[in-house]
Amino acid sequence: MPTYQQTLDRATERLGRCRKVKAMIVERLDLPIDPDWITNDQPLIGRGLELDSVDTLELMIGIEADFGVALTDDEVSAFGSVSRLIDRIESDGPLDPPILPPAES
Amino acid sequence: MTDLVEAGAPLRRDGRWDVPIEADRIRGVLPHRWPFLYLDRITELQPGRSGVGIKNVTVSEPHFAGHFPHSSIMPGVLLIESMAQLAGVVMASAEEVAATGKTYLAAVHRMSFRVPARPGDQLILSAVAGTRRGHLVDFQVAARVSGRPIADGRLVVAA
Repeated sequence: MPTYQQTLDRATERLGRCRKVKAMIVERLDLPIDPDWITNDQPLIGRGLELDSVDTLELMIGIEADFGVALTDDEVSAFGSVSRLIDRIESDGPLDPPILPPAES
Repeated sequence: MTDLVEAGAPLRRDGRWDVPIEADRIRGVLPHRWPFLYLDRITELQPGRSGVGIKNVTVSEPHFAGHFPHSSIMPGVLLIESMAQLAGVVMASAEEVAATGKTYLAAVHRMSFRVPARPGDQLILSAVAGTRRGHLVDFQVAARVSGRPIADGRLVVAA
């Protein structure tokens, strides 16, 4: 079990990543808003930030450039929110875990 | 494709895109026609991935009548158009797009115009495909004259 300090360090690190992603979104898309106005769970596509397909392509390029994580075409769900993007960046693996058979009891 | 068949110059030979592709054959790929075809020849082509093309700038082009009357400079938007047409051919040559061949310019990012292009210049255009998302492809594009950068930036092309 992680210690309190380890949990605090991880939360601080994630907060920093959130800020970096929000700043990247605003800078890449030239949005006329303060990055802090974007909340962690606010939808990015459609209602919410109202990003379109060209915007998400630009964010894919930004994530690869700034975080070294290449998103694939079928990972649209990663753009659900800033939190989802961070989850994907931190995992650097498939966003959705494979469906496993129920554990044998 | 009608022009192409009549000219007897197939775009692909033995299933491969045969370069150089001259203006007559480019009209078999792109729907553009005079005075809006800004690509004279394609010298290198990796279908769906990259291409190098030539655009010869000539004072006979109609936009020089007004841009500008006493100083002929190729408009920056037409430099973008030249590079976009090359990117369009790169896209249209990809197997999954070749069936329809229709491509559209979707976005222009961070385009810089470094030196004016003037009549007599031979633009060497390049387009390299990068990140893709669905029907959208990001291209790094550039135009050079005698090795000197004229314009560069990124274009998003939609198929």
